[in-house]
Parts: sequence; C-alpha cells; structure tokens
Amino acid sequence: MQPVVQFDNVTKSYGKHVAVENLNLSIEAGKFVTLLGPSGCGKSTSLRMLGGFETPNSGRILLGGKDVTRVPPNKRNVNIVFQDYALFPHMSVAKNIAFGLELKGLDNQRIHRRVNELLELVQLQDYAKRLPSELSGGQRQRVALMRALAPDPEVLLLDEPLSALDAKLRQQMQIELKSIQEKTGKTFMFVTHDQEEALTMSDTIVVMNKGKIEQMGDPNTLYGRPGSVFVANFIGETNLLRSTVVGTEGETAALSWNGITIKAAQGGLTPKAGDHLYVVLRPEAIHCSAAEPTSGNRIKGKIRHRVFKGNHTSLSVEVGDGTMLNALVHPSDVTQLNGEDIWVGWKPETTTVIPDRHAHN
Amino acid sequence: MRNMFADAPRTSLTAIYWAFLLYLLLPLTLMMAMSFKDANFVAFPIGEWTLDWYAKVMQDKQFLEACLYSVMIAACSTLAATTLGTWIAMLIVAEGIKGQIIIFALACLPAVVPGMISAISLRIFISTIDMPTGTAAIILGHTVHAVPFVVVMALTRLRSMPGNLVDAARDLGADSVVAFFRVTLPYLKPALVGGMIFCVLLSIDDFVRTFFLGGYRPTLPMLIFAKVQGGMSPEINAMATLVLVVTAAVGLYAEYLTRRARTR
Repeated sequence: MQPVVQFDNVTKSYGKHVAVENLNLSIEAGKFVTLLGPSGCGKSTSLRMLGGFETPNSGRILLGGKDVTRVPPNKRNVNIVFQDYALFPHMSVAKNIAFGLELKGLDNQRIHRRVNELLELVQLQDYAKRLPSELSGGQRQRVALMRALAPDPEVLLLDEPLSALDAKLRQQMQIELKSIQEKTGKTFMFVTHDQEEALTMSDTIVVMNKGKIEQMGDPNTLYGRPGSVFVANFIGETNLLRSTVVGTEGETAALSWNGITIKAAQGGLTPKAGDHLYVVLRPEAIHCSAAEPTSGNRIKGKIRHRVFKGNHTSLSVEVGDGTMLNALVHPSDVTQLNGEDIWVGWKPETTTVIPDRHAHN
Repeated sequence: MRNMFADAPRTSLTAIYWAFLLYLLLPLTLMMAMSFKDANFVAFPIGEWTLDWYAKVMQDKQFLEACLYSVMIAACSTLAATTLGTWIAMLIVAEGIKGQIIIFALACLPAVVPGMISAISLRIFISTIDMPTGTAAIILGHTVHAVPFVVVMALTRLRSMPGNLVDAARDLGADSVVAFFRVTLPYLKPALVGGMIFCVLLSIDDFVRTFFLGGYRPTLPMLIFAKVQGGMSPEINAMATLVLVVTAAVGLYAEYLTRRARTR
C-alpha cells in the first residue's frame, strides 16, 4: 500500500544549524504516528514542513503520492492542531469549525451538518455559539481538533496539543484523541516530547534526536528493545549496565559487569567476546528480595533511598562499585525488605542489549 | 492627632487632585454657565437664565454648515489615515522586511512635529505640487497628522496577536488576503475603532493645519475663531458647549472600547 506521507531525504537548516538532516520517513494511512524527541530534535520542523509553513533546503515531501514540497499551506490537504490551539477569538465555536469548510466552498447546509456532526463527536453541541474565551482548556482543545478535522484532511498534524493541559486532563485527552483517531480512521501525525503520551496513543513512534531518526517502531518494541542508549533513556526509566561480552550461548550472551557475570537476551545482535554492550534493565524487571534468588542474574546491594509512590515503591539500590540501580517494588514485597542489605535479581530474558557505539575494540 | 500627621502625604495628594480637578473644570463650567445667560455680553453676574442661545445656534445656517463640513473632512481623513496606518503597522510587524524601526520612526514623526511647522511645510508642499487650498488639502493635512496614532494603536494590538492565528487560517485554506480580512482585521477591530474615533476628534479639533490649508469654506474651529474676533457673545459659548459635550461623549466611548479590547 502506498504511504500517505513520505519524507524523501529531507534536510532543513537555519543558517548553520541543521534542524532536520536527511529525513526519510513513510507513514501509512490510518495510523497514529508520533514524532517523539527532546526540544530541538527537529520534530516540530518536520511537522511544519509537512504543513507547508517551512520549505526544506533539499529533498521532497510527498502527500498521497504527490510532491507538495513547495505547495503553500492553503493548498495542501493537511491540517494542524496548534500547540496553543490558535482558535479565532472573534468567532464562535461553530464558526471556527466552519472556517475551513467555507473556504472549501461547501454550501451552508452541508457546512451546518458537518459542524454539528463534529460537535457531537466531542459532545460540545451546546457550546456551538460560545466564544473560545468562554471555554475551558479541554473544550478549546476539542474545538481546535474538530476545526482541523472538519475539512477532511489526508493527514491531521498535532503539534504538542496537550502540553497546555493539566496532568489529569492530559490523560483523559490522550484516551479521547486515540478514540477519535480510531473512529475517524484518519492518519494522525502527533508531535510531542512526552514519552508517556507517545506510548499511550501511538501505533508507531518515531524517536528523533538532533535532526535524525533515532529509532522507529511500535511502543512495545521501543520500550522493550530500544536500539540505542538515547532511546533507552528517553523512553521510560532505565538502568544501563555497561558490560563486556564473555561468551554467547544460543540467544543468550554472558557478560561481565564489574566483575560479576550476568546473562542477557541478545535481542537480535550477534556479539563477539570482548564487545562492549549496554544491558537495558528496566526498574520493573528487577526483583528485590532479602534472600538470594536461586536462579537468574543476581547482585548483592544496599538500599539507599525508598520513595513511596502509592501503587509501588521506588528503591535506589547501590550495587558493586557504587552504581545506583532503580527498582520498582510492589507494595506487598516491600514489607519483607526491612534491612539495608538485599539481593537484586532479574531474569535474563527481561533485558535486552544495546551496542556501545562509542567503543572501539 | 497622630493619625492626621501620619496621613499627611495622602491628604496632600488628595488635596492636589481636587485642586487639579477644579483647575480643569472651572473654566469649562464658567463657559457652559455663560451659554445660559439671558444677556448679550459675557460677564458676571448671570441675572436671568435662558436657552435662547441654543435655539439661535441650532438655527444658525453657518454653524450647521461648518459642522457638516468638519464632519465630512473628519470622515475622509479618518478613513484614509486608518487604511494607511493599518497598512504601515502590518509592514512593521511583517517578517523579512528591513528597516522596520525606520519605518516606525517616520510614521510617528507627524505626531511630534509642532503643528505650526507641519502646517507651514504642508502649505509649501501643496503649492509646490500646484494643489489648490481647500477640502482636499485639508484632508491630506489631517490624514498625515492622524496616521501615527493609528499606527501605534494597531501595532500594540498586532503585537498581542498570537502568531499562530494567521498560520491557522492559512492552514485551513485561506490565502493571505482572506486571512487578513477574516482573521487579522477582526482581531484589530477594537483598536481600529478606538483609533478612528481618535482621528475624528483630532480632525474636528484641528485649527492650525486647517487654517493654512483651508479655502473660503470655514470648518467649525475656523468659524468659532472668526466669531470670537467679532466679539464674545453667549452664542459662542453655546456652540462651544455643544461641541464639548459631543466630543467628550465620543472620546469617552473610544476609551471604553479600547479598555474592553485590552481586557479581552
């Protein structure tokens, strides 16, 4: 199937600063795709290029197979939900949503019907005549979303639309956004720096860093098998153990970390003895116990900090040469960890490994 | 007693305020009072009160014609100044235009040049280009004088406008002309209405420029000036009172509009 959006070797720079470098990205129709990365990684620039507000220095952008690289924003069939919503303050909710439809030249009856249909989708029928200033943050968000959806764009672009909302509302909106995307079957391209948002809503996450794609995949893959230290650190919390390969056995590698031998799933890599690897150990994969575990990897450690988080307790455990491991402990397990000295254990298959790109053996 | 001394600074501030108010309002009040005097000369005491002077003014063809003429000039110069001023303000905030500070400084110049100088230079200018004195010249002079006020008011409003609004309009299919008329202009509206009212008042009030650029047809200030030269009469007081009441009402309304725009 032909992708709905294609970035073909796109580069955009401002003076000497390269915002996006040789971006190649294909987006399938009907998917919820998230561009995730820290500020300045090029995600917003990519979105603005697709919206038509920036022109790439080189490369092509294809929309539905057509080259739109130099087409102005008003002539492309994509719409943006802006970060601060950018609702027209002098127009009512209904007028805001109708704006794009009027410019498409639809007749009044059809505009009226479409506006009502969209307002119904987000349960704002009673607010049609209000001004944006008379709405709450969440309602404005919904209106902005409907205004962008109204002209039936090929792709809906969302530029960190949830960042102005408070934490609780943001979670609600994440679920609502996802359900609207599923109901309408539209392709959503969502830009955020919030990994939780990305994990909650996306079919595909594109992790960007310094103008390039760091890794692309579904949330499960990115969380479970990060391809780089950057991705491992950016998505979720991680303990990274820099280790040296001692040997391999089937799908498992034996590694040496601070003189302790640990085992880890190879995660598709083919390491040789002597290679340096990072073992990605997620806090929730760690099992803390007072007694030494009978199987799996185990290290002796001392509890340095306990942070009670309600549904779990977060422990900082000092192991080996002073490395701190972050572990999540279930409330029912925490009671038996009275003393300082504990065992940290985990199963080799719950971890993955990342090559150490900077190492030269 | 201690309290009174502690409050001294405040008390004196209040006193100064009332003194200022008296200073401001007393001449106006006297002028208005005289317009109701039932006698031919302006002086105390006011023995009998009457509304006759107002009746006379309202039937004074010269006065009514001058009013109409002033309003016509005000309307034309306001329209021209608002269009020009808005355009200049848009130019100043536009991206990728060099020398925006210079444009701003030039646009504001007419507001600070002394009226007399500006009047003389305009007079010299129109005679250089062989433009006759009269209506067109007056409108030109008033427009030049009013533009800076429109620029400043429009600019203030434009600078508070979220940059994304125009982007959003473009994104939804508007070209830049449609985006200007459907999004930017409505956003500017409160500032422009305030600015237009200000322009009208400036124009109606203007004497120096009108004097230098005008023909034989008198505007309101010129008519009053001519009448004063012929000697004070309560009739002039009645005219001035009418003008004062109308302009004050319009000015207050403009202030109310700009205030409302600011709080939105």
